[in-house]
Amino acid sequence: MAEIQGCARIECTGLGKSFPGGLRAVAPLDVTFQPGATTALVGPSGCGKSTLLRLIAGLEDPSEGKVLIDDLPPSRQTALGAISVAFQDPSLLPWLTVRANVALARKLARQSPDPTLVDELIGLVGLSGSEKTRPAALSGGMRQRAAIARALATQPRILLLDEPFGAVDELTRRQLARDLPPLWQSRGTTTLLVTHSIHEAVTLADSILVLSPRPARIVADIAVPLPHPRDAHGADFRALVTRTSKALAQGDADNAPMAAQ
Amino acid sequence: MMRVASVGPPLLGGVLLLIGWGALAAVLRGGHLIAGPAEVAGWITANPGLLGRALGKTLTNATLGFLVGNLVAMALAGVAMIWPRLLNLISGLALVVFCLPLIATGPILRVLMGPGDGPQIVLAALAVYYTTLIPLLTGLRATPAVWLDLVHSYGRGRWSELIHVRARTALPYLFAGLQIAAPAAFLGAMVGEFTGAEQGMGVLTIRFMRALDVPALWAIAVAAAAVSMVVYGAIGAVARMVLHDRPPVILSPPRGKPASGLSRLSQPALLIAAVLVLWWAGMALPGMNPFFAKSPQDVLAALTTAPQAAATRDTLWTALTETAVFLLPGYVAGLMLGAGLAIALVLVPNLSTLVMPIAVALRSVPIVTTAPLIVLFLGRGALGTISLVAAMVFFPTLVACLHGMRQAPGQILDVFHIYAAGRLRQMVHIRVPAMLPAFFAAARMSVPAAILAVTVVEWLTTGRGLGSLMALSASVSDYNMLWAAVAVVTTISALCYAGVAVIERRILSVYAPEQVRP
Repeated sequence: MAEIQGCARIECTGLGKSFPGGLRAVAPLDVTFQPGATTALVGPSGCGKSTLLRLIAGLEDPSEGKVLIDDLPPSRQTALGAISVAFQDPSLLPWLTVRANVALARKLARQSPDPTLVDELIGLVGLSGSEKTRPAALSGGMRQRAAIARALATQPRILLLDEPFGAVDELTRRQLARDLPPLWQSRGTTTLLVTHSIHEAVTLADSILVLSPRPARIVADIAVPLPHPRDAHGADFRALVTRTSKALAQGDADNAPMAAQ
Repeated sequence: MMRVASVGPPLLGGVLLLIGWGALAAVLRGGHLIAGPAEVAGWITANPGLLGRALGKTLTNATLGFLVGNLVAMALAGVAMIWPRLLNLISGLALVVFCLPLIATGPILRVLMGPGDGPQIVLAALAVYYTTLIPLLTGLRATPAVWLDLVHSYGRGRWSELIHVRARTALPYLFAGLQIAAPAAFLGAMVGEFTGAEQGMGVLTIRFMRALDVPALWAIAVAAAAVSMVVYGAIGAVARMVLHDRPPVILSPPRGKPASGLSRLSQPALLIAAVLVLWWAGMALPGMNPFFAKSPQDVLAALTTAPQAAATRDTLWTALTETAVFLLPGYVAGLMLGAGLAIALVLVPNLSTLVMPIAVALRSVPIVTTAPLIVLFLGRGALGTISLVAAMVFFPTLVACLHGMRQAPGQILDVFHIYAAGRLRQMVHIRVPAMLPAFFAAARMSVPAAILAVTVVEWLTTGRGLGSLMALSASVSDYNMLWAAVAVVTTISALCYAGVAVIERRILSVYAPEQVRP
């Protein structure tokens, strides 16, 4: 994908994370996420995908190596309001309505209120009519969609999505996969998508990083040179799913002897 | 439907309470023990001006103390959130101040502040701020980590955490604390009036106790209880309007970062140092007369090197043992009765809908203000004092234990239902273990309350023990003895609190490990 001028470039150099007690979540990684591209991180459960995302978001400090976003550490970029995260848990504040939850992101990022944008995003994730509803009255999938709208409300330069469609039903998931990517692609948002679903990765991403079981290493970097919207029944699509699936199995097999030791 | 269901049982409970009271008064007529509802109503209608003026005075002081104490608590809690390193020191200092015996701080404040309302207001503030600070700190920290991550992901810090997330998650806990604080403020103001005010409910209590005017004593206790219940209920109603939910019951205090190695020793040492420095600095303020403002070194000298040091120690020790004889049985009985009744209420749920509203209402009664009645009824001997201590511990324990048992995990209860296990087996295997965290939280928080109760009764009636010693020392201006007693009572109170906390931690590490982890 051609680099869009002004897009954020994320560089991880020797990036590793260990937790107290010796648990090593991320092996030293060297990886650069291309500006303006959508990269899917695929790997087995507990492999450190989410930790990698948290390192890039500046929510965890690396044990070794560093993350630079346009030559600045993540903490500087978050202070500029450049990053948005859609967490695995929708993390909506229960005392705020859907609209107030989405608007909160702009407030936190010190951006001016933009009610039109907020309502537009709520409509886009299919929650029109639920603007004044509190999260407790929404289904799990609706909450996740509200959380996605919130993540987009600041029009971030870097969008980090941690399994954002986990609780969304299949139909809505397809609809979101069709409607959402244009939002960040047209703005040149550098997007990282953590997902369990190979299908989702091939549908949404420009490239797929396949990670090994913990500690996360990169097993394969697979380009997805398909135009949007993508035809899940096409031969190319299926070939990419198969290739990713094989890489995932390979990563698992590579780590098996290590686990046995 | 919902309204009828929620109003019915308390109304029925209240009517039953009134009938029981009337019946008891009728049975014991002529014994100068109980004034029945009719007598109390008669006294109130005959003396509306006297009661009204006293109630107005006490309410004003209690309200001022309530405001000051709660504002201080909120400010301290905010500071602890912005600088988390201060959390342990702030909650430790708060505990020490909470453990100060009001019976002694009353006369000391009277000397320091002179006549007027100052001491009553300060005592009311002292009585409320811990009961607000602890739930508030708990609530401020009961925030899901992912909400804080959201704030951090936009590069914002602790201040934004506090404003956008923590302040709101703490609201239910704040209301729970304010509810308990309302009767506590009333109690503080009345204890302040016991120690030499000119007007107020406490002054009337002392006067009618000396005159053995039973209907008047009952009328004052009933008025104090009624006002407390109304304020308690009003704060609860405001909470329900604001929160769309009931405030939580459990008030277990928060912990700072877990101590390890050297810091496990250094934290208590830091706290002791902070207490001593603050005490010393307070006494060194200009205008403090060394005749009554005793510093730590004065107290140490009075207990060790002074000519009468041995006699002072003996007097304190005798008073301490006299107090312990009443305190320990009362404390244990209160805990056992509270937990026992909670278990019985869960085994017989129909009983619970009747008893629970009464128990919650009675929890809002400033028990200490009813001390003269209980002693009137049960005598000046051991039984009256022990009963009062037990009553002080009983209500919070009952309410906390019932709340704890309701926290039993539903899925595990479902497993028991599938095997058709009865209520008793559910109780033994699930509900009692689920109750333990709340039980110990209540046991810990009840330590200073029990000590307050025993010292008030000793002072007002029995004339023995630490409470009497402190009152006597204040009246003969033996300030060395008074300060020494304050230091001893506060230390013992804090040590007992810490002792219960140690037992609690060991038990929780088995039954509720998630509460012990940082």
